[in-house]
Amino acid sequence: MGIDHVGAGASDADLVRRVLAGDSGAYAGLVARYRDRLGRYAVHMLGNREEAEEALQDAFVRGYRSLGRCDAPDRFGAWLYGILVNRCRTAGARAARRGRMFVHDEVALNGASPGAPNAIERAEFADVVRWALARLSPEHREAFLLKFVEDLEYEEMARLTGAGVSALKMRVKRAREQLQVILREAEHV
Amino acid sequence: MFERIVAHLRAPVHIDPAFGERVMAEIATLPTPTRARPAAAWRRLAPLAALAVAASVLLLIARPASSTRKLQFVLVAPQAATVSLVGDFNDWDAARTPMRPLRADGAVWSAVVPLAPGRYHYAFLVNGSRWLPDPAAPRASDDGFGTPSSVVTVSGT
Repeated sequence: MGIDHVGAGASDADLVRRVLAGDSGAYAGLVARYRDRLGRYAVHMLGNREEAEEALQDAFVRGYRSLGRCDAPDRFGAWLYGILVNRCRTAGARAARRGRMFVHDEVALNGASPGAPNAIERAEFADVVRWALARLSPEHREAFLLKFVEDLEYEEMARLTGAGVSALKMRVKRAREQLQVILREAEHV
Repeated sequence: MFERIVAHLRAPVHIDPAFGERVMAEIATLPTPTRARPAAAWRRLAPLAALAVAASVLLLIARPASSTRKLQFVLVAPQAATVSLVGDFNDWDAARTPMRPLRADGAVWSAVVPLAPGRYHYAFLVNGSRWLPDPAAPRASDDGFGTPSSVVTVSGT
């Protein structure tokens, strides 16, 4: 059985209970279930696939170690999200100190063969978006991704980030405005 | 344009196919997690009035029958709108331990946390984005995450 199939039909709460009962292999089901969605957030938040996977792995491992303190096992995903948001903050601060937030996405670029102009255009668009996201402050980028990409309610965002709903609404508004300005500028470069 | 950006960002991203195996290999080296015990019945908290004079203090304020101790973390931050306590004990989750103003002027923020004996790294998160180590506590050596933090050690005796 592949790791992606562990606990495919079980609920989050069932898998958490199995892990706490000693079946650590059941955690693979939770990893498979949340890897892609959380990975997407980390990749866009950090702008660097390698650092995103590192933050994501760290979040899953911390989640495992702290699983006994997950008060609502049926909301494991939301709980883990909170851990990842914080791991991305610390990883982002570390990357910012090194002055590196934006890198070419080699996976996307390698997938753009010379004979496929649409693929090249897509890869260029992806680079522009990543560059534009990197120009937002971490707080604005975080709020933008949680709202528009992860489609979270403001109350959930407040729980994850520790910021107030009003502050988050303002960050989302400003992030959207700034992104549009940045991308309009990019069109004229 | 905006819709195209959002659609692009919502598309699946490539994650290393071996990612799951890497996580499982790492957790295989860890002990099985156990359900956290229900909170013990704490003794009455010590008076808090003396805290306002300190820039930042960490107090042992009660000891329950078990070896777990209840500690109060305090930060003076008159300009802050929100302050959270983050650390190893709450997975650095800003939402889990919000600090409360002790005084009407909102200058002194406090959180009380029960901690089992051990050594913990922690920091304050001000306004959701500014990380502060505790100025009155030993600074943690760089843990590789680039964020300054402090250390508190809870003894078992």
